Amino acid sequence: MEQKYLRDFEARCTQEEPPACRSMCPLHVEAREFACLMAVERLDEARKILERSMPLAGLAAFLCPGHCREHCRRSEVDAGVNLPMLERACLLYTRSTKPMPMPASGKTAAVAGGGFSSLCLAYELGKKGFRVNLYHQQDIAAAFAALPPRTFPERSLGEALEQLAALRVSFEQVKDFSPDRIASLRGEKILYLGLDDPDLDPAAFGLAGPGDPLTLESPVPGLFAGGAGLSFIQAAAAGKRAAGSIVRFLQGVAPSSAREGEDIYPTKLITDLSAVAPLPPPDPADPLVPTREEAKAEAARCIPCDCLLCVKKCAYLSHYESYPKRYGREFYNTLALKFGNRRSNIQIISCALCGLCGVVCPNGADMGSFCLEARREMAQSRHMPVSAHEFALEDMAYSNSAEVAFYRPQPGRKRCRTAFFPGCRLPSSLPEQTGRLYTFLTEHLDGGVGLFYRCCGAPARWSGRERLTAANAAGLREIWEEAGGPELILACPSCALFFASELADIPVKSLWEILPGLPLPKQARPLKQSLALHDPCAARARPDLIRAVRDLAGALGQETEELPLGRDLTRCCGYGGLASAVNPELGAEIALSRARDTDKDLLCWCIMCRDSLSAVGKGALHFLDLLFPAGDEARVRPAPGISLRQERALAFRREMLQNIWNEKPDEEGDLDPINIEMDAEVAERLERRRILLSDLKRVLLYAGEKGGQFYNPQTGRTLSSLRPKQVTFWVEYSPRADGVFVVHNAYCHRMLVPGTPGEGLPTAAVLEGFDPRGGRA
Amino acid sequence: MKAEAGEIRAEGWTCASCGSPLELLPADIAYMGSSFQVELPRCRKCGFTLIPQDLAEGKMLEVEKLLEDK
Repeated sequence: MEQKYLRDFEARCTQEEPPACRSMCPLHVEAREFACLMAVERLDEARKILERSMPLAGLAAFLCPGHCREHCRRSEVDAGVNLPMLERACLLYTRSTKPMPMPASGKTAAVAGGGFSSLCLAYELGKKGFRVNLYHQQDIAAAFAALPPRTFPERSLGEALEQLAALRVSFEQVKDFSPDRIASLRGEKILYLGLDDPDLDPAAFGLAGPGDPLTLESPVPGLFAGGAGLSFIQAAAAGKRAAGSIVRFLQGVAPSSAREGEDIYPTKLITDLSAVAPLPPPDPADPLVPTREEAKAEAARCIPCDCLLCVKKCAYLSHYESYPKRYGREFYNTLALKFGNRRSNIQIISCALCGLCGVVCPNGADMGSFCLEARREMAQSRHMPVSAHEFALEDMAYSNSAEVAFYRPQPGRKRCRTAFFPGCRLPSSLPEQTGRLYTFLTEHLDGGVGLFYRCCGAPARWSGRERLTAANAAGLREIWEEAGGPELILACPSCALFFASELADIPVKSLWEILPGLPLPKQARPLKQSLALHDPCAARARPDLIRAVRDLAGALGQETEELPLGRDLTRCCGYGGLASAVNPELGAEIALSRARDTDKDLLCWCIMCRDSLSAVGKGALHFLDLLFPAGDEARVRPAPGISLRQERALAFRREMLQNIWNEKPDEEGDLDPINIEMDAEVAERLERRRILLSDLKRVLLYAGEKGGQFYNPQTGRTLSSLRPKQVTFWVEYSPRADGVFVVHNAYCHRMLVPGTPGEGLPTAAVLEGFDPRGGRA
Repeated sequence: MKAEAGEIRAEGWTCASCGSPLELLPADIAYMGSSFQVELPRCRKCGFTLIPQDLAEGKMLEVEKLLEDK
């Protein structure tokens, strides 16, 4: 992955940007973290936060005018959080910690002026091991004399001066800044003029005015000046910045280098305020001495600002407990690894690629596009975990095998103007309704409607395998060309996305834009109950289809409701991007998270959505259940398991060819004579482990011919294995007198073990992305 | 991969071909270009190796995933 690709992505995610209170604070105090600690009464830790960025925090925090308040996002709701009050409370109820100076560096600096900028500069340089000599004309305390009474407790100035003394800062009170004194000071290698001390005249030091506003550098090398006309906190920031300039100057580095973010700046952090309720601020009896309770109540008003717009809406993003910018960095690091554990592999391939994050993010940070790009690189560099997509790709290969896939023009025609492309899942989930839909289309569309049954190839694309994707698309195109190039009517929104990206020149229409223009099927019936419309993620960018299905529901007389996150903001069912194939637990989490968006049953128009949501126990229907009711209670019809889907795919082909095209049924396969019996618990276990009935039958057929491998005389059971592909299957069974195999258990593994019968060659579908010999090139 | 004898449970199983009891014998197992020698229940005569379910779905699966993420 190009570093630029990562940088572009990172720049879109604002979660790591500071909140406005920090970016607009002259000292960049971590005010959000401070307020959060104050809200939970962790005052000592809160004080450490102040001390981290505030010089002489024990005094400075009392002097803070709260520049942040007007920038606080809560001010858009009611009133900005009163940080100065929190700072006062924190200082009043905690003790200061001693600053830890670095060992004496031998460097010295002279400071003229006793203003706050001078004290803060002395503090900063003292911590860095400087010896600082500070010259002032008036008493230091006099600098604060103009402040209203009780601005700070008396002890805090004393403590500040003690701290400075502990940092080897020496004070010298001078009678005046005479020409001799000035000449002597100008002879110092480093001199800071604290112009917030009214006794100092820059002209007397040969300066026209203060130094550079950011670095405080004057035109004279080694002479720095500033601090005039500022608030105490701004003066503290000036002193701190001048200290930074002095360190750079002595290192021979330009004082202006690497100062990004030191000045105040507006933040890019995005914060959604829509759920922030007004919370009236407390009214302290004595604003100068807020109680702990008052401070706690005020701190609780901190929102606290962050973005996480996408994370809050996506079960995948929240599952990994961080946010896109960090994920992007981690993925990039995993991709760049030459050796070692590729930690982010499974996370990269667990995203459903649904695109919601890209839509909710005002900057369009789309984790799905990032994951797909990463997957492509993983496949290309042969770092895609071998087992992750194997099953899904084998399933795709099965759907596209000669046994299952077919194209037929409408009976009586050689070429058809259109062809119905139901996709791989609709016929295997709703075979009867799909057949009726096809007949319905032939009755209502002119020019003939062919039937084109296969998988579009989306799983290959989702798995990042570009060659396999292209090969599948080429295979599809070949059949389409032979059929005379009919316009395809796509039932599945994911197919539509695939055609748009890989077969853009093939003319396609969505079934959902056609149906509202046709009369309703005679049998079409609405349900009495209101249903929540669930839009598929693949149709997020298709407002035309989103509108069309609502028209269709209206024509049907079906009462529907909108979900809070529907239409272009719809949430994923967990199937997309092969998320549930790679990571079944997370897939179910995503589906459950969607299911909980409403108490109503869902009305879906993507069969993957319907089945994924139904699989987690949600009442869900497909539009075909209303258009062509099958008489069952569709809302609770179990989603078909993998074996059943594959069987139904075969049956769909067989029945369509037989009933519509009067073709003889296909020869029965070799596996059909094997009869299996097992209880529901075993069947469910096999489904979870993705062991197909056909896998069991292969093992049993082989064992029947060659004899089983292991026998348990106590239980009378046999245990046999076979490795028909890259997986070894084990079946524990008892043959019954009537020829039926009673299966007690089955499991599988991928490691190659000596003495296992079978070749173990991978299917062509999964070759891309790893070396068939097991190692990596 | 460590597969200590105590972890592997293959009690009761005998070789279906010759009827011999299984013995813990060294076996070379391989995945993703890595191979290991471990002691597994095998038939000394016929060479069959039994992988019990808890091994296949426990330690073995763990190592498979680890090797896939290398």
